[in-house]
Amino acid sequence: MNIFIPLIVGVLIGYILRIKNRKINLEVPISAALLLLIFFMGIKTGNVKISAGWLLGSSIVFAVLTITGSIGIALLMEGRK
Amino acid sequence: MRFVLYVLAALLIGIAAGHFYSPDFGNLYEIMLYILIFVIGIDLGMNFQLGELKKLGRNALILPAGTLIGSVLGGLAASLLLGIGLRWGLAISAGCGWYSLTGPLIGQYSAVYGALGFLANLTREILTIVFYPLLSRRFPGNVVVTMGGATTMDTTLAVMTKFGGREVAVVAFVHGFILTAAVPFILPLILSL
Repeated sequence: MNIFIPLIVGVLIGYILRIKNRKINLEVPISAALLLLIFFMGIKTGNVKISAGWLLGSSIVFAVLTITGSIGIALLMEGRK
Repeated sequence: MRFVLYVLAALLIGIAAGHFYSPDFGNLYEIMLYILIFVIGIDLGMNFQLGELKKLGRNALILPAGTLIGSVLGGLAASLLLGIGLRWGLAISAGCGWYSLTGPLIGQYSAVYGALGFLANLTREILTIVFYPLLSRRFPGNVVVTMGGATTMDTTLAVMTKFGGREVAVVAFVHGFILTAAVPFILPLILSL
């Protein structure tokens, strides 16, 4: 199934709820779905042979470079003002 | 912060269970993903108001675009450096710190890159919390907001408010809000390439 289908249906339902002034607390369902999803993702990852060192090192490289890229572009935009 | 610990615990327990027992849950992973995306959609529909964003002016809208572009460029560099396929690198970086969405979405296609997407974006959030106070002294507070990506409307907002002030807090919230609305659409697009 295309990921956009549940997303767009959700947005439409959320919009209808907003128009009808109905408030729903979504914190608990989001947290529960998320924890279960992360658990299943862990199971999938655990089935694959993977180096923990590579995973950690690559995560840090990605985090540092994405942060640097974002700040760099923002500095360029700031300089152009 | 406590929830991050729960998330990490869920991931580690899952990895241990997968490694030692290899349980088969069928397509439960996909079902949970669609449920999460659906609930995120409801949340967006209930809270996203285009009119409110227009009031804040052009600059507040341009900053998140810069964050996304910079993030993707960083991801491109990381992919080349680590020898990872561009599709995965771009998807990981386009998550903009939203680890709970990025990991599972990429995990649909690859467990390894799903785990990397999860951890890389979680690391981004942690680095933002640790280094925002230092970087906001050297650079304008508005600029440094971009390091938090989509997390600046919730988990990293407190640190930005504390060290950047009220003005930065508004920018940070709007910045995170726009990225939170954009990432669930951009990420699947990149993955479909």
